Amino acid sequence: MNITYILKDSYHIMQKDLLALRRNRESVAALIILPIAFLLLFGYIFPSATTEQHMPMGIVNLDNGQASSALVTQIENMNKNSGAMNIVNYSSVEEAKTQIDRGNVYGTFIIPPGFSNNLTNGKSGNLIVYVDNSNPQLSSSVESAASNTITALNGMQAEINVVKMGSTTVNAQSIVFPFTQNIETTIPGKSNYFNFLAPGLMIMIVMITVMTGIPEAISKEREMGTFDGMLSAPINQISIILGYTASLCVKGFAQVILVLAIAIIFFGVTIQGSILLAFFLLLLGIFSFVGIGILAVSSSKNQATGTTIVNLIMFPMMFLAGIFFPIQQMPWFMQDISKIIPLTYAADAMRKVMLLNANISDVIIQILILVAFGIVTMSLAVILFRRSMTT
Amino acid sequence: MTEYALELNNITKKFGDFTAVNDLSLRVERGEIFGFLGPNGAGKSTTIRMLCTLAKPTSGSALIAGYDLIKDPSKVREKIGLVAEKMIMYDDLTAAENLRFFGKLYKMPKQKREERIDLLFNLVDMQKWKDTQISKFSTGMKQRINVIRALLPEPEILFMDEPTLGLDPQTTFAIREIIRDINNNGVTVILTTHAMTEAEALSHRIAIIDHGKIAALDTPQNLKNIISKSDTSIFKTKITNLTSKMVEKIRSLKVVTALAQQDDNNLKISANGMGALNQIIDTIRIEGGDISSITNSNEPTLEDVFLTVTGKEIRDHVNEKSNILEHNSNPQTRVR
Ligand SMILES: Nc1ncnc2c1ncn2[C@@H]1O[C@H](COP(=O)(O)OP(=O)(O)OP(=O)(O)O)[C@@H](O)[C@H]1O
Ligand SMILES: [Mg+2]
Repeated sequence: MNITYILKDSYHIMQKDLLALRRNRESVAALIILPIAFLLLFGYIFPSATTEQHMPMGIVNLDNGQASSALVTQIENMNKNSGAMNIVNYSSVEEAKTQIDRGNVYGTFIIPPGFSNNLTNGKSGNLIVYVDNSNPQLSSSVESAASNTITALNGMQAEINVVKMGSTTVNAQSIVFPFTQNIETTIPGKSNYFNFLAPGLMIMIVMITVMTGIPEAISKEREMGTFDGMLSAPINQISIILGYTASLCVKGFAQVILVLAIAIIFFGVTIQGSILLAFFLLLLGIFSFVGIGILAVSSSKNQATGTTIVNLIMFPMMFLAGIFFPIQQMPWFMQDISKIIPLTYAADAMRKVMLLNANISDVIIQILILVAFGIVTMSLAVILFRRSMTT
Repeated sequence: MTEYALELNNITKKFGDFTAVNDLSLRVERGEIFGFLGPNGAGKSTTIRMLCTLAKPTSGSALIAGYDLIKDPSKVREKIGLVAEKMIMYDDLTAAENLRFFGKLYKMPKQKREERIDLLFNLVDMQKWKDTQISKFSTGMKQRINVIRALLPEPEILFMDEPTLGLDPQTTFAIREIIRDINNNGVTVILTTHAMTEAEALSHRIAIIDHGKIAALDTPQNLKNIISKSDTSIFKTKITNLTSKMVEKIRSLKVVTALAQQDDNNLKISANGMGALNQIIDTIRIEGGDISSITNSNEPTLEDVFLTVTGKEIRDHVNEKSNILEHNSNPQTRVR
């Protein structure tokens, strides 16, 4: 059996499978619906990383001095400009807390009695920020907005103080803020959760298509009896594996292009790196997953078992591979598990290429790991597949 | 070219402890139509699957078209065609697309492939259905396509596992015509069936198999002669108030070699020796049986042969009662 025949037969099998797909509207629909559903689902259920705007926030002024009412005005003006918070005035702490409990405001500033006095007597004025932390995500946004506000207020007040002290020869701002920062990011523009999600999602969709597709296709052929037609024909059994893998690659790529288009158009995802390298990584990902699918189908008697095995392997992979949240955020033992999952490396490399414009040499370790993983699973799969074919 | 199309030496197939095919040895000449006749579960399909390289024999060896089944399966595959128990066809493709796909796998050059596809569609008179999706075909139409699919690569040996199962008389007849036709063109045909008439109508020689073993192997005429030459006689009797107790009583008679219950009232009894008929009638009467008719067939049919050599009868619709009786039957009363 020479290699040309193996490849030609694989091509014929792929061609047949795609032709059958084209004839079957339900399969085409399933192919399109899966990635769209995933995209919308994951695109919207996870919190977006952009800071929240117009958070309702209370303010209670228990002081009756002049400084405190100036402060209230300043806070109100600042937030009118930035739009970070919407400030509501309350007359008592109790009232503010009731509103927090009802969910009408996320927290409140409290200016304690004696605030103005403290300031005029040369002490610091203590401002209380009371935050609803029943929602951790929200409370951290509120806390940072509040602390930003206070930092800004401090700055303004300090500059005034410096000027008052009579030092006019220097820039007041450089005394108050000797250090300033300009944050530059790896990805130009605002950080966007979807930018983080899209590369991993692409590789995950391909993985789902290939890993569930192999057992599905082979079991179907087996149960229909058509498999005997291929197995009794003078072809190498490798061609069957290759043919189906090729066909699933085509389907997976079609889905990826769909995902990418939606991600770019609707979720503002941008691609920094080489698309070609990204597609190469997708192919490599398929190579490393497909063996698992074949192993599953070879070690099961029917479609139900095959699919169950695949799902059992696939679901942990999906959540441990750092597709939805960075693996650095996981506990150490989970990180260890994620290190033995090929999807982790595929998603990581994909993200580096798509977001950071990494080139081949930057992701060479991931590539080598995927190749090694693929070779091992594929060799096992081919051996087991051949054995399972002739019972 | 070797002399035989098929040469099986002690082929055995086990599924765990269960022996599906037991030490099968036989030779089939080139150009023969050879039939495996046996009841459900006899091991016919398992045998065909092994000979088509779809299942590995547990032990034994075979030459198919001169090639070693175990050592050279890919050569074997080039020489054979298969009409399997389940039809080998993709429902979403058209008839022609199905044939084309398999033609490619058999490495047929394009022009030859297309010519042969045309020829085969004409052979089964389905030219105008060429570009119709298989899912729109009736069972009979599908089976015609299934048969020409197997014929496409011009196999030397055609294996057919129950090729007319579930077809109407017309299609059955058409398929049989095709089988004779291709056989006349030199193709060796190996078929399995549990229909007597089919085996008899087509086969030059028949192997009756039961429990994975050959119970008898010969031409249909010689098989029938087994009965006419022996002092075995076959009786058919109708008893209006037949009970299972009665059946067991008759079966346990020494003279009775085999018994099959055909339906609620009819029995077929294979018996040996003088006075057998009297003994059977006496037994029925003692049990209070009401005999409404009893006949002795002089001209044995293949069915009678089958009953005699396997101790049971093959029918398309074996009723449950007779199945239960089969299982309880006393092995001593069977002829082996
Ligand atoms: N893959 C398998 N695993 C276990 N047992 C099997 C397997 N295939 C067949 N058998 C058993 O082997 C025996 C022979 O089966 P086979 O299909 O060859 O019978 P058959 O003569 O073709 O019957 P039928 O007329 O019903 O098609 C049966 O008892 C069947 O249960
Ligand atoms: Mg069978």
